Amino acid sequence: MPDGPLIVQSDKTLLLEVGHEAAAECRRAIAPFAELERAPEHVHTYRLTPLGLWNARAAGHDAEQVVDVLLRHSRYPVPNALLVDVAETMGRYGRLQLSRHPTHGLVLTTTDRAVLEEVLRSKKMAPLVGVRVDPDTVIVHPSERGQIKQVLLKLGWPAEDFAGYVDGEAHPIELAEDGWSLRAYQQEAVEGFWHGGSGVVVLPCGAGKTLVGAAAMATAKATTLILVTNTVSARQWKSELVKRTSLTEDEIGEYSGTRKEIRPVTIATYQVVTTRRKGVYPHLELFDSRDWGLIVYDEVHLLPAPIFRFTADLQARRRLGLTATLVREDGREGDVFSLIGPKRYDAPWKEIENQGYIAPADCVEVRVTLTETERLAYATAEPEERYRFCATTASKTRVVKDLVERHRGEQTLVIGQYIDQLDELGEVLNAPVIKGETTNKERERLFDAFRTGAVQALVVSKVANFSIDLPDATVAIQVSGSFGSRQEEAQRLGRVLRPKADGRGARFYSVVARDTIDQDFAAHRQRFLAEQGYAYRIVDSDDVDTQM
Amino acid sequence: MTTAASPSRAEADRAAESGPRTLAEDLRGRTDADLGALLCARPDLTTPVPVDLTQLATRATTRASIARALERLDRFTLQVVDAAVVLPDGFAPSRLHALIGTAPEEVRRAVAALREQALLWGPDDALRVVRTVRDLVGASPAGLGPTLAGALAATAPSRLQDVLADLGLGSTHDAVSAIAAITDLCTDRARLDALLGQAPEAAREVLDKLVWGPPTGSVRGADRPVRADAARTPVEWLLARALLVPAGPDAVVLPREVALHLRGGRVHRTPLPTPPELPVRGFDPQAVDDLAAGSAFTAVRRVEDLLEAWSAGGPPVLRAGGLGMRDFKRAAVQLDVPEAEVALWLEVAYAMGLVAGDGEPDEQWLPTPAYDTWRRTPVGTRWAALAGTWLETTRVPALVGTRDDKDRPVGALGTQVDRTAAPEVRRRILATLAALPPGSATDADSLLAHLTWHQPIRAARLPEALFRAMLVEAELLGITGRGAFAGYARPLVEGRVYEAGDALTPLLPEPLDHVLLQADLTAVAPGPLVMDLAHELHLAADVESTGGATVYRFTEESVRRALDAGRTATDLHHLLATHSRTPVPQPLSYLVDDVARRHGRIRVGTAGAFLRCDDDALLGELLADRRAAGLRLRRLAPTVLAAESAPDTVLEKLRAMGLAPVAESATGDLVLTRPDTRRTPPRSAPPRVAGEPPTPTEALLAAAVTAIRAGDSAATSRADTAVERDGEPVELPRTSAAETLLALQAAHADRRAVWIGHVTREGRATQHVVIPLRLEGGYVTAHEQGTGEIHTYPLHRITGVAEVG
Repeated sequence: MPDGPLIVQSDKTLLLEVGHEAAAECRRAIAPFAELERAPEHVHTYRLTPLGLWNARAAGHDAEQVVDVLLRHSRYPVPNALLVDVAETMGRYGRLQLSRHPTHGLVLTTTDRAVLEEVLRSKKMAPLVGVRVDPDTVIVHPSERGQIKQVLLKLGWPAEDFAGYVDGEAHPIELAEDGWSLRAYQQEAVEGFWHGGSGVVVLPCGAGKTLVGAAAMATAKATTLILVTNTVSARQWKSELVKRTSLTEDEIGEYSGTRKEIRPVTIATYQVVTTRRKGVYPHLELFDSRDWGLIVYDEVHLLPAPIFRFTADLQARRRLGLTATLVREDGREGDVFSLIGPKRYDAPWKEIENQGYIAPADCVEVRVTLTETERLAYATAEPEERYRFCATTASKTRVVKDLVERHRGEQTLVIGQYIDQLDELGEVLNAPVIKGETTNKERERLFDAFRTGAVQALVVSKVANFSIDLPDATVAIQVSGSFGSRQEEAQRLGRVLRPKADGRGARFYSVVARDTIDQDFAAHRQRFLAEQGYAYRIVDSDDVDTQM
Repeated sequence: MTTAASPSRAEADRAAESGPRTLAEDLRGRTDADLGALLCARPDLTTPVPVDLTQLATRATTRASIARALERLDRFTLQVVDAAVVLPDGFAPSRLHALIGTAPEEVRRAVAALREQALLWGPDDALRVVRTVRDLVGASPAGLGPTLAGALAATAPSRLQDVLADLGLGSTHDAVSAIAAITDLCTDRARLDALLGQAPEAAREVLDKLVWGPPTGSVRGADRPVRADAARTPVEWLLARALLVPAGPDAVVLPREVALHLRGGRVHRTPLPTPPELPVRGFDPQAVDDLAAGSAFTAVRRVEDLLEAWSAGGPPVLRAGGLGMRDFKRAAVQLDVPEAEVALWLEVAYAMGLVAGDGEPDEQWLPTPAYDTWRRTPVGTRWAALAGTWLETTRVPALVGTRDDKDRPVGALGTQVDRTAAPEVRRRILATLAALPPGSATDADSLLAHLTWHQPIRAARLPEALFRAMLVEAELLGITGRGAFAGYARPLVEGRVYEAGDALTPLLPEPLDHVLLQADLTAVAPGPLVMDLAHELHLAADVESTGGATVYRFTEESVRRALDAGRTATDLHHLLATHSRTPVPQPLSYLVDDVARRHGRIRVGTAGAFLRCDDDALLGELLADRRAAGLRLRRLAPTVLAAESAPDTVLEKLRAMGLAPVAESATGDLVLTRPDTRRTPPRSAPPRVAGEPPTPTEALLAAAVTAIRAGDSAATSRADTAVERDGEPVELPRTSAAETLLALQAAHADRRAVWIGHVTREGRATQHVVIPLRLEGGYVTAHEQGTGEIHTYPLHRITGVAEVG
């Protein structure tokens, strides 16, 4: 019996034993087609999904290779049904192809007539297609290029898009590699994207996604629309682009709630694009205002639903998605696949960390025992108030104060959900508070001060969840969060995972009230972090001194 | 319409002068080895063993037995049967060759097989077809119509004379000679060719449509007499010349002689003397075995998982028997396998007697004690038992979920899942696959075509979908891997089931005694676990994923379950520390301690429900908690609360609130709640539905032949003496009970003497000439003429009655 590192489970998960000598080779072999689901210390779990298999197909892998990899690395015989299923699923990709016909324009062709018959019988297809010019070809309304890809994916026959792209309005952009250069994986990511035409690059927080975007722009040398999550993020993109490319401040426009500039490179926020007045989207014109050659989507996993709809109409333009994870809380991974494109590059988080680009983090859950009065109050609280009560209990404030004391001299972030609590913490810790009402200017001032070390502790609300860059934070203390979202956890962890000058490890504390709903949410976080492979400990607040 | 047998009847009378006159005589002339071969080929004849050769001959020509024999014939032999039926009795094999048109050797082989099975008999140059075979083949062998003699039998003599005139034949005196003249014309190649040469093109087209059958076509007013010169349509042209014959007011039929001529003297368009080729795809035999062994292991595990889940109380048995659709679907979800697969495991477990109704008023499906016995055997043996049961059972899992004749869904474990043909088909599939070189697979279509050639009649009876399902089932059971027969499973084909199990054992993964513990609170068992460890882990953790490995997840609930079952925190720490290959993650130890810390802090009494807790603050908290209001709690003492609700409600509510109370008995002990393992009373496996009787062993065959011979020589020697004495027939015909009674009543009424055959209590066959005196209560009292004595014979011992010459 072969002694491979991989165990194929009947629920289509793949278990990879990390300690096995062939584990690294096996990981490289399965990464193209299996999604890494969990990566705790000993056994990593990958999952075979239709999307994952189609991503692999899009990247040029065929079923034979996948089956071979499974058979070669599997410790136990792989059930034949699973292999058949893999081959069958992968065989579905590319039976249908979108292409440009010299006389008929956009057409859907097939290599398997029965499949075309099957999909054309679907009611959803009827409004998207025109006449059938021959048994294997049907005309597609040019405006429905995105729609048809979405529908076909839902029908289980994802189409390959060979219809090509418009070049867009040319604009000279060069990378300014003075004293720095693209890392190898960033280079690979850009090449993977450019070769595929459109698609998503998956890189962990802090791995330099902005640079991948900049390099893609330098390859396209065309006007570019960049969609980002919020204004702070927009500013950072702008300063990064000015620093890393030949672009000047004047060539980059910001299209946000406050400013409406349209320049050769325009950075817009999701919020302004999806603003709706009287049922219409007034800022839709942005997409048509220039002949964009490239559209960059930052944080694809957070992309709001309306943007998918706009994107459906932009299928003739090159699209680059950037994200730390393909997993979406709303399960719309399929839309990302069909509208933005297949995954073009993926680097395992842990692997990049091992290369030294991301600081390892030590996660500690501190359990706070409520006082008797607090417990009584908690028990009598209204159900909707319970979380708030236990998350903001006064006992926590004392513990946070202790922790900040312990890490005096290190850059410390205190992250929370509730403004009252943050204000109170700010007072107790004598630290500035950044919350929703803080102006952008003030935020940037405080962030700068934090970066330079003038401010050592900063209390932030959930605004910190999005694309801010705090390079010197070595300690993060989370006091409350919004109901254990995995997304949020990835973001928060990202805050302290930035490379440190002295290579010191980062510390991530969660302060949790014992025996309350807070502890249940913490269990979710714990699971997520452990699954990401981070060391995780639980200590009682009374034992912090002895166990740290 | 007359049957195809009718023309031969006339010819049969003119059959060979020499040779055996009856099938019984033919059998009597065979060697013991021949008789053994007959009984072996038609095992239904041995149950019960016939008394003598006469009875064997009678039994061998019953409709049921012949039908069974025909079912077992291959495509080519059936083609030979068609041709033989076309010929009049007493034919020479050369005429058979001519009708089939393949190499004589192939026909000879088929004829030998048919003779061995007593479907053909008589001397080599004058073969006869058993009449029942003619009846069963029916009126249109190979799509041929009736002979002219049969088709024209009912025609008016005047009309026949018209036909003769139109054919240019001289008129005759009677109908018989008229028909003979027409037949002569139609069997004369040259004359018929000449006649057909005159036929208009359209008439040829009509003939072409009917020539390969079905031989009848519908035409309005077919029975109107038409003369050749009055014929206006092609059909009328043919009718006038008896090339088509009316078969009713609106139907015409193509006479057999004409059809055979048009078919070029052959009965079949394509004789198929050999089975279709099996295209073979080769895999590495070792890889096939490994893969199949994996499936075999999974199969055993699935059955166990299924029955374990029902151990604490299974789903109800429907009033009409069987398992409800909803429970069936639930089982599929529970096992996380497709429904077809669950049907397989359920039906095999049922057929093996591992699961049965418990017989209680509200009947439930529960594992039987046999399940416990089975589970204690090694995995290889367990698998062998499953595979052997699958092979032999008449239950067809693929029928579950289909619709019956009345369009009602067929449920699992119900009464409609039996098909008698199933075991035979499975055996044939496996035998065919096993005959391929190791590691070779073929595709389902070719296999189906191959098996269909071997037994076309049976194959037509089992729908193709069921056949295909069987291939899938063999794969799931680990008998095949990628469609190729697993090496270790080969003994299965020869019925050496447990040998197959032993051969499988070395391929199974060794049970492990360790797991990998991780900080995300999972334990991964990278292979099957030793039973004790598996049991403990099942208690303390939830199973998240199964397959080659098992992933367990520890949760607050699962740890609490272990504590509830009497494990202590120390036990759990010990379990984790001993069986983990890696250090126990801190969060896991913390979880165990944390749950243990809270576990049992609150105790709930069974009588009247009270809550006790050392921590009076906790009770205060509980009292104040609005969620607990429904329990109507009161404080009895600083550390004791009382509840109005029943203890189980209280427990549930408190747990819902996130507390970890335990139940307390009246004496103050902890009540341990472990789900009871339940079993049915002893149950045997359900009886197999009678299908094919088992193939007799050689010893049995030899004994049967000896017994028949002995019985036969006794019977014939008695008959011979009777012949000498009275010149009466050698054999008394066997008559049915009703006929016997009628004949005896008639003889009694007329005071007439009759022959009776009588079997004594010792089983000796005797014959007597008697005058029945009294008939009542199943006995006949009669005066025996030979001895002049009066005897009483039980009616059921009288084998036959015949008139005295």
